[in-house]
Amino acid sequence: MNIVVCVKQVPDSWAEKKLNPSDSTLDRDSVDAVMNELDEYAVEEALVLQEAHGGEVTILTMGPEKAGETIRKALSMGADKGVHVVDAGLHGSDAVATSAVLAKALGTLEWDLVIFGIESTDARMSVVPAMVAERLGSPQLSFATKVDVADSTVTIQRQTEYGFDTVEAKTPAVVSVVEKINEPRYPSFKGIMAAKKKPVTTLTLADLGLGADEVGLAGSWSAVDEFAARPPRQAGSVVKDEGDGGVKIAEYLAGQKFI
Amino acid sequence: MDFRIPEELQALRASFAAFVDREVRPIDESMTEEYWSGTPDHGRLHDAAEQVRRRAAQEGFYACYLPEDVGGWGVSTLGTALLVEDAARCGVRLAMMAVAPPNPSGPSTLLLQLPEHLQDVYLRPVVRGEASMCFALTEPEAGSDAQAIRTRARRDGDSWVIDGHKHYITNGDKADFAVVFAVTDPEKRAAGGITAFVVPRDQFRAGKTQWTLADTHPSELFLDGARVPADHVIGEVGLGFFAAMSFLNAGRAYIGAQCLGLAEFALDAAVAHARSRTAFGRPLSRNQGVAFPLAESKVEIEAMRWLTYHLAWAVDEGENPMLDASIVKYYDTERAYAVADRCLQVFGGMGLLREGPVERVLRHLRMLRIVEGASEVQQLVISRAMGL
Ligand SMILES: Cc1cc2nc3c(=O)[nH]c(=O)nc-3n(C[C@H](O)[C@H](O)[C@H](O)COP(=O)(O)OP(=O)(O)OC[C@H]3O[C@@H](n4cnc5c(N)ncnc54)[C@H](O)[C@@H]3O)c2cc1C
Repeated sequence: MNIVVCVKQVPDSWAEKKLNPSDSTLDRDSVDAVMNELDEYAVEEALVLQEAHGGEVTILTMGPEKAGETIRKALSMGADKGVHVVDAGLHGSDAVATSAVLAKALGTLEWDLVIFGIESTDARMSVVPAMVAERLGSPQLSFATKVDVADSTVTIQRQTEYGFDTVEAKTPAVVSVVEKINEPRYPSFKGIMAAKKKPVTTLTLADLGLGADEVGLAGSWSAVDEFAARPPRQAGSVVKDEGDGGVKIAEYLAGQKFI
Repeated sequence: MDFRIPEELQALRASFAAFVDREVRPIDESMTEEYWSGTPDHGRLHDAAEQVRRRAAQEGFYACYLPEDVGGWGVSTLGTALLVEDAARCGVRLAMMAVAPPNPSGPSTLLLQLPEHLQDVYLRPVVRGEASMCFALTEPEAGSDAQAIRTRARRDGDSWVIDGHKHYITNGDKADFAVVFAVTDPEKRAAGGITAFVVPRDQFRAGKTQWTLADTHPSELFLDGARVPADHVIGEVGLGFFAAMSFLNAGRAYIGAQCLGLAEFALDAAVAHARSRTAFGRPLSRNQGVAFPLAESKVEIEAMRWLTYHLAWAVDEGENPMLDASIVKYYDTERAYAVADRCLQVFGGMGLLREGPVERVLRHLRMLRIVEGASEVQQLVISRAMGL
């Protein structure tokens, strides 16, 4: 069984993020970049499935040159090869444009399952897996807390407020997994060294037959009109306790309708 | 000259950082009560350290510097030094148990000199984090002057019989076996008369715990007719010090890396505090009296860094950089202590509290200025190398 895992490089979730004033896109150079943490669960799940069913695990990413590091990390966890869609024209792509690129790239690969994390920690749209499934005409099994494959059927459990749903589809299918599903492995030094020699193919927009107007800022359906820095936090008011502190606290809480 | 850290070592650091964050930090945070207590529960602290050690060993970080055929990853001295630095720098105290060096309880490269069948018995269980060892050289009458040890080993048929008294032995009370240095030829002493043996737990007795100002509490060790088979010699009979030399340079790089990491941690904390704490209507950092000592600390940290990385690199190049090793041991322990002391000052009263970040760092660094060759002994080595 062949699996493709889509991963994204994102700014470190702890870092202070900035937007470029010129085109309102994220300033990716000013912060450390890491593999989207939620994608680590997708990579892990693919490796677990591979251990059980054999086949190859391919890592697919779309992003600038530097995003190759994220492919390398997935390869050091144990994936077999990588595909990197890199093109200056991709800059500023929103979820719709991204899904177009990923779907095209997936069209060049052979797979039974495509696995995604549930969202990226920078954009937090949680829609790319569904959009890609739609474009590919594949069944979509989202928010999986468990994935099983038998013959050509994939079954997932999806956590709900009251229990879980069991959802089933024929492969090829698109799956997104939540962080409860597993514990991602740490790359071992052996894995890191082996990853240096694993093949990574790069694809451009031309390779995928996509025009510049279909992707990037031009091909995006959403746009950032304006942004502003978060206002600095206002200094709180200080109340001196002159024997009536308790009453003042009660008055304050009542004023805020807490009590 | 290329001073960049190789990509694979950067990736290894990132992997280790993820392990520390996900697995070690929660255990460390659950120990806060013990860390801050005047009367900590040492049993609980030990169990937590063991838990970290075992998990790190399962993942492979713990003994990463050992060759693959004994269960390591064959990581270079530089790579290992970077993990030691990161473990010390991250502020999670138990992370310092996740990489074996420079803890004497971890699998010493000395054990690679044991015959193959004994590596299974002694080395591999420590690599797996299932057993631990201790390194027993120092005696009440022989510290800096290590060749003055009195512990004696005599050949008796197919065995060696060892008698003596060691002290200040880290992990002596818990170790599953000891590497014991004993005199086999009193005439020759350091020049071919001192031998290193592996002595299993049932052949020695730990005496009283020796409580120190640091968080490491060594103990006495008694060998009364300890008997080990003849193959329990590390390296060759009479060449115990020679065997020890084989890991000393790397060992000093690891101590240096720990000093570097702790100094960086203390400085990060002091800078953050100086910027956020207000006195006389402005942040502490606005006073040169506060900012300049921190600037000086930054300079010293960079000097420590490059001395340490250079030493590690030289070891990896197959050189025998004994002078550099003494310089690192001396400079890093002394400067890191000075940095930590300045940083502690910036915290005022909180600097002295167990709840503050720097107090335990200062105590640990105070210890490092004495153990494994005190600063004066390093100065002695350095001055001799200068022809003095
Ligand atoms: C917490 C702790 C853990 C330890 N763990 C271990 C361990 O696991 N295994 C082990 O074998 N040992 C261990 N030691 C022992 C440690 O290595 C020795 O304490 C150290 O080597 C110093 O020896 P000493 O205490 O006998 O001091 P001494 O040798 O008596 O030295 C006292 C002072 O005199 C100075 N001095 C000595 N000779 C000279 C000279 N020629 N010129 C100038 N100054 C000199 C020294 O630098 C020192 O300041 C540990 C010690 C401590 C405190």
